[in-house]
Amino acid sequence: MVALYVLKVPEFMALAEVAGRNPKCSVRDTGRGYIRIESKEDIVFSRKELGFKPAIWYGALTGGFDGKIAEFGRDSLRLTNA
Amino acid sequence: MRATVTAERANRSTDRLVLHGVHHTARPTWKLRETIEFYRDILGLPLVHTICARGWGPEGHPDFLHFFFDSGNGSTIAFFYYIGTERPEVLAPFQSWFYRATHTAWRVETREELLNWKEKLEQRGVPVRQTRHEIIDSIYITDPNGYPLEITWQVRDMNQADATDAALTLEAALQIEDEARKNGGALRDIDSVWRRKAKLVDAYVAGR
Repeated sequence: MVALYVLKVPEFMALAEVAGRNPKCSVRDTGRGYIRIESKEDIVFSRKELGFKPAIWYGALTGGFDGKIAEFGRDSLRLTNA
Repeated sequence: MRATVTAERANRSTDRLVLHGVHHTARPTWKLRETIEFYRDILGLPLVHTICARGWGPEGHPDFLHFFFDSGNGSTIAFFYYIGTERPEVLAPFQSWFYRATHTAWRVETREELLNWKEKLEQRGVPVRQTRHEIIDSIYITDPNGYPLEITWQVRDMNQADATDAALTLEAALQIEDEARKNGGALRDIDSVWRRKAKLVDAYVAGR
């Protein structure tokens, strides 16, 4: 299981929106200010799809994650099972 | 008995102490004319106060000018010009994020204001860099002394979610650092903080 939390503030919400369109991800509002994204497979984000400027992109995991960062480059982030 | 009463009074008067914003920040300069021209004429900050005095206090304190420019909302930016001195090498600016970390950021109220500042500064020959962060959009400049300055527009108000998240982030970092130090190590990467934070958020959202 790979998971990450997204703080429910405008600048990070694209993570939840993009994950919500991914059938491999489950997205759940915890009701306490964080959204939890989970997947049994790798979770991959594209900076372009998120529309993130670099300063926000490189803080995209600020909500915390379970798993391992397989790739965190300028344009692609891949979380995988630890 | 008396000691107890005094302590209670002291507690009452210090319980809810708050600060009310910046009065001044200050730094030394060895470029009197360039500094005045940059802050007063290029930035357009009104010169509002100057102290000029013989050196006093600690022995050897040089004569000095101490001058203040209005940076809005009751705040000022101030400089000391220590007459007849030369800049110690240890205070020379150097190209590093370590050096630029110490800076002043002034607030503007709208994005339009921020962009107008950018345009004004560029028109006056000041190189400007712009970066959008999480909740602030900022422009960065350097003064003639090499001091970094920022003008920033805060995109939204900070709320309780931000404060809670801030506390959880730092708690995660402190836990990882404390654990590493016990083993003679150090906090080495942000990944370990993010992993620990997920556990703290697990507990937080579960109401634990």
